[in-house]
Amino acid sequence: MKWITRTASLFRLLFRKQRLEDQLDDEVRACFDLLTDRYRAQGMSPSEARRAARVEFEGTEQVKEQVRDARVGAGVESLLRDLRYAIRALGRSKGFTAVTVITLALGFGVNTAIFSVVYAVLLRPLPYAQPEQLALIWSNFHSSGPRAPSSGPIVREIQQRSRLLQEVAGIWVGTGTFTGEANPEQVKVASVTTNFLSMLGVKPAVGRVFLPEEKFGGRPAIVISYGLWQRRFGGDPNIAGKGIPFQGASLTILGVMPQDFQLHFPQDSNVPPIVDAYVPFGDLARFPRTLYYIRMLARMKPGVTAAQAQEDLNSVAAQVRATYTEYSAENLTFEVAPLQRDTTREIRPTLIALFAGAGLVLLICCVNSANLLLARATGRRKEIAVRASLGASNGRIVRQLLVEGFVLCTVAGTVGVALGWLALKALLQLQPDYLARLGNVGLNAPVLAFMAVAAILSVLLIGLAPSLESFKFDLIESLRDGGRTSQTPARRGLRAALIVSEVTLGFILVVGAGLMIRTFEKIQQVRPGFEPQRLLTFEIDLPGSRYRNDVARAQFVKDWEQQLAAIPGVESVGAISHLPLDDYPNWYSPYRPEGVSENESAALLADHRAVTIGYLRAMQTRLLEGRYFDDRDRNSGQRVVIVDESLARSTWPGQSAVGKKIETEHFSNGGFKPGWTEVVGVVEHIRHHSISKQLRGEIYIPFEQSSRPHLSYVLRTRVEPLSLADPVRDLLRQRDRDLALSKLRPMTMYMDRAKSPARFTAVLAAIFGALALVLAAIGIYGVVHYSVSRRTHEMGVRMALGASASDVLRLVLREGLVLTAIGMALGLAGALAVSRSLQGLIYGISSVDPLTYAAALLVIAAAAILGCWRPARLAARSNPLDTIRTE
Amino acid sequence: MPQPSELLQGTLELLILRTLELGPLHGLGVSDRIKQVTRGVFHVKAGSLFPALHRLEQNGAITGEWGPSENNRRARFYSLTRIGRAQLSREKRNWKRTFTAVNLLLETET
Repeated sequence: MKWITRTASLFRLLFRKQRLEDQLDDEVRACFDLLTDRYRAQGMSPSEARRAARVEFEGTEQVKEQVRDARVGAGVESLLRDLRYAIRALGRSKGFTAVTVITLALGFGVNTAIFSVVYAVLLRPLPYAQPEQLALIWSNFHSSGPRAPSSGPIVREIQQRSRLLQEVAGIWVGTGTFTGEANPEQVKVASVTTNFLSMLGVKPAVGRVFLPEEKFGGRPAIVISYGLWQRRFGGDPNIAGKGIPFQGASLTILGVMPQDFQLHFPQDSNVPPIVDAYVPFGDLARFPRTLYYIRMLARMKPGVTAAQAQEDLNSVAAQVRATYTEYSAENLTFEVAPLQRDTTREIRPTLIALFAGAGLVLLICCVNSANLLLARATGRRKEIAVRASLGASNGRIVRQLLVEGFVLCTVAGTVGVALGWLALKALLQLQPDYLARLGNVGLNAPVLAFMAVAAILSVLLIGLAPSLESFKFDLIESLRDGGRTSQTPARRGLRAALIVSEVTLGFILVVGAGLMIRTFEKIQQVRPGFEPQRLLTFEIDLPGSRYRNDVARAQFVKDWEQQLAAIPGVESVGAISHLPLDDYPNWYSPYRPEGVSENESAALLADHRAVTIGYLRAMQTRLLEGRYFDDRDRNSGQRVVIVDESLARSTWPGQSAVGKKIETEHFSNGGFKPGWTEVVGVVEHIRHHSISKQLRGEIYIPFEQSSRPHLSYVLRTRVEPLSLADPVRDLLRQRDRDLALSKLRPMTMYMDRAKSPARFTAVLAAIFGALALVLAAIGIYGVVHYSVSRRTHEMGVRMALGASASDVLRLVLREGLVLTAIGMALGLAGALAVSRSLQGLIYGISSVDPLTYAAALLVIAAAAILGCWRPARLAARSNPLDTIRTE
Repeated sequence: MPQPSELLQGTLELLILRTLELGPLHGLGVSDRIKQVTRGVFHVKAGSLFPALHRLEQNGAITGEWGPSENNRRARFYSLTRIGRAQLSREKRNWKRTFTAVNLLLETET
């Protein structure tokens, strides 16, 4: 029963508001009149009686307000009223509203963009079945260190011995060529254990994937990617079961992976995100025990943690070491790394730093807005005082200010999210392709939820500052002097604290941005060990079925290089098994200098590269000692190598490397064999893996003495490299119709890609730094300007008493600059603390780079002076008579 | 003299309901009657009285009607409804129980 009447009341309140108000008004007035009558009857004069009644009532408006509060739904109703009032009030001061909304929208926009990336890369679960159960298993060897691949027998041992792993799968990615009626096409091909694809739990678009227990002895099968299916087979829906020519054999297509399927592996696993074909491994147990190249991915049993799986594998490693001398000599251990964490290992510090930067920007935006709101609230003292005397409680006034903050944040949040969406589009244009999953970054529920939380926190932050202020003010004082108090210079109180914190945050951001920009600058200047300009590159795989032996391959390559060199515009030609900065699986192996025992040399490891005779010269890699390869170094010649300077220095310190003998691995007729060679030259180090990292020493072996079937060619050109693309393609078609050429691109493209992480970070950090600067300048301007406008009277008096214009100018400037100086001192401390955690992202400079710090000090000071200058001039130019008269 | 603010909210409503049990009264009349009957111990001011009246009306315990006051001014007269009578008897019982319990406690204390 009760709820019916209550609902009716709420209905009346929301829809018959006017009648309800009239009634309340009537009733209170009637009661007041009755009371007045009573006092008059006691013999008071009419005015005395009314006064007495008012005292008794304690204010008719306050009584009404209390009744309103007692109504059902009073909260909703008065909130709506506050909302309407806030919108009206904000509409009245358009300039203030615009500045605040733009400021906050910038902050929200930056955060929307960055959080979208953070979410997509770091937080969103990988698109596999129960992705949290997936973990990589790395092998650690005494000789090659941690995070190494494994051999087939190791995979098999783990499969059989582990108790907590549900499944263990292996993958290795190389290249292969599709032949047949269409143009030959070279693609990335993954050899996988038969359980690999089914373990990921992805449903194929067509057909099926390999079954875990399936054997493909005599009937080779293949699973292809969606892209290849569309591109090469026109999306033929009946493709499953058809045979296709691949690497000179015929394979049966089992199925097609779905369109968005990608492999999310860490960069150093040499497993790229897009692989066009999957073929099954043979019997793992029969693979050579020490041929380490397989990457292991495992699915832990439900409920098993990575730590438990690690324990399990520790005991497996012990058993394996006890069984095989090869592995005990290497002191083999395993490391379990949850897939998602490991995949994002390299990018995480960058993204966290950028995310923190975006957070700082938002904080500055909030501080700025709080400042503006505060200035406005102080300017509105009289209005607030009037509202208080009309019956508004302290709580009501604070709520009103919070509601204003809420309206501002809602508008700014909406604009900001839209802005962020645009920013994100621009960000993706930077193409940081190491962010493998950036393809599906966007505004989604988690991102919007995060922004909503950020907006609510911002409301509290920016709404509370003025509220704090409004608690301390004196009603009568405010009413009397109409809000023109002259005793509150900006130096004091909350506003000063806001300015100082703004400068502090701004300083930290500018330093961070400076370090990132300097890092990028250093990376730009790095010489990668060759000259990347005017260099065209492409790959060709020689299928083993037709180029069976070393001699056939050597013959092809020799003729082919001669033909390439004859193309007009080509200066020189060469080829290498592993192009620098490319993602072809690395070839690194142990080597042994003469006079060093096998045991001692176990930890000596170098990147091995097979190069044709012209390669180092075509790359313009500098020769430091000895000679380049020449015609002496063909198949029949004496075994020789060229090493890089870092290997030469670490192996023979203080001696010349030329003439020294080392035992290194050669690839010959389909297998790796060790052999003794003589060092004939030393060249500068080539950055094969990363522009900013120098990993291992390098050994270059003449191609004809180690003829790997996969080669990347480089053409040093006199003309724009890509203009030679068509002549090269035509030439290959004439030469061998079944050979495919891929990755035809200028070397500068690899350089750009290698630099893109640093560029991405630097561009974003620069944007954050610039935003922080502008916001800090605006903030300082706002506060000083406000303080000056409050103190025109004081300035007028000072000038009337003989202060010169420059005295006043100095006074005002000092006020702003003292705050800036305090902020910079705090910022310096903060930046020093922060730069230490940025260590991993910095290259080529110290984390306390003096240039960066000096620039930050200068730039922040300049921004502060810029912010103070106009208001100070305003104050200095004021005419004492005018200012005094206006009071 | 205890201010109304020191009264429990429920107590003020009990006082108003009890006052109206004897017949319809306007706001000031309710306040007067309470003051008179409690011999000036409770002086309910407008700021507490009107919100309480409105709450009771919203809950359907009392209903208001405009009528002429003693000196021929208009005033809003409140009278108990059926719901109000039920609430009154319930709250009377509650109060007596509380009163007895508190008294018992105080007596054993001394």
